[in-house]
Amino acid sequence: MRVTVSVVGEDTCEVAVDPGDTYADLLASLEYNPHRVSVLVDGRPVPEDAAVDADRVEILRLVKGG
Amino acid sequence: MDCDKCGEPAVVHAAYSGLHTCESHFRRSVEKRVRRRVREDSLVPDDATPADPETWVVGLSGGKDSVVLTQVLQDTFAEDPRISLVALSIHEGIEGYRDESLAACEALTADLDLRHEVISYAEEFGVRMDDVVAEDPENMAACAYCGVFRRDVLERYAERLGADKLLTGHNLDDEAQTALMNVFEGDVAQMASHFDASLGPFEPTGEGPTERARREQDHHVPRAKPLRDVPEKEVALYAHLRDLPAHITECPHAEGAYRGEIRELLLEMEERHPGTRHSVMAGYEKLAALAAAALDDTEDDPDFGSCDECGAPTAREVCRKCGLLDALGASA
Repeated sequence: MRVTVSVVGEDTCEVAVDPGDTYADLLASLEYNPHRVSVLVDGRPVPEDAAVDADRVEILRLVKGG
Repeated sequence: MDCDKCGEPAVVHAAYSGLHTCESHFRRSVEKRVRRRVREDSLVPDDATPADPETWVVGLSGGKDSVVLTQVLQDTFAEDPRISLVALSIHEGIEGYRDESLAACEALTADLDLRHEVISYAEEFGVRMDDVVAEDPENMAACAYCGVFRRDVLERYAERLGADKLLTGHNLDDEAQTALMNVFEGDVAQMASHFDASLGPFEPTGEGPTERARREQDHHVPRAKPLRDVPEKEVALYAHLRDLPAHITECPHAEGAYRGEIRELLLEMEERHPGTRHSVMAGYEKLAALAAAALDDTEDDPDFGSCDECGAPTAREVCRKCGLLDALGASA
């Protein structure tokens, strides 16, 4: 499935996600380090090891140099 | 995915503990770790009383770390008459960076009804970091000048504000980086001084040589880092979830190439071996305690006198800060 990913305050892109992929996999495909960002679904942070279960997510940079 | 403690939707997964937690349990866990560190480091001395309270000066930059530390400490101690908190911020003279983070400091301290002092390099030393970087008489990284000036201001104002302790918002990632840097540089004396200056507890935590207290230093206000058990991301997430006024832009002059490399290395290791940062720190603190104990017996404290120019405690004739100001053609 395709997921729309917007980086808060920056760009938006679309990413292909395989069934069973986690938010950590999604971050890895965009080369974000999970120790520096959080994934938001409907504005709420979600654990990175959960399977992707939304067609729109946001990436929030938490740490400088993210 | 649900919280392992209550079944509410989880907001975070900590790979090093395996725990998923909801917002409320995550917040509590951050607060608990800060309070436990305050206890384990014996930051509140037995002789602090409502009649004779301790003053803690918190270095507040407006970044997420110091904002979270200030908030959690005030939540914890606002009603405790033994502890009085004062926030101290520094304006380095960095255009478009510090003004915004100082606005965060003012919003926070107003909200917490906390005394807040702001000191600028311009007023203190007649220099601004933007100009220092442009001039660069010593051919050093910006942070090398700024660190010397910052320590001088924190130290002098902590003393002037009657501080018994100076608290800073270093998180687990910061401290694990410093630990590894000292290991990679083979700097055992620096480990010992790290222990005595800011890591060691104020009372022994047990009988063994690694459970010793820090050595009292009469020439500097003692420092402590109560946020150092919390990983950087969790500090930032806590600030986000509580909607605290924190400023997350990086300083435009930041370079720190070596620290940057260590940081990447640690995060890669953490990714492959969750818990690396915690175990690095746990082992390092014990090694630093042993180094401090061993050097305590063999080396005297360097002979601390006063700077010929400004009177600050220093082991040299002219302190590092005055040396830099001379090179910059400025004077305090």
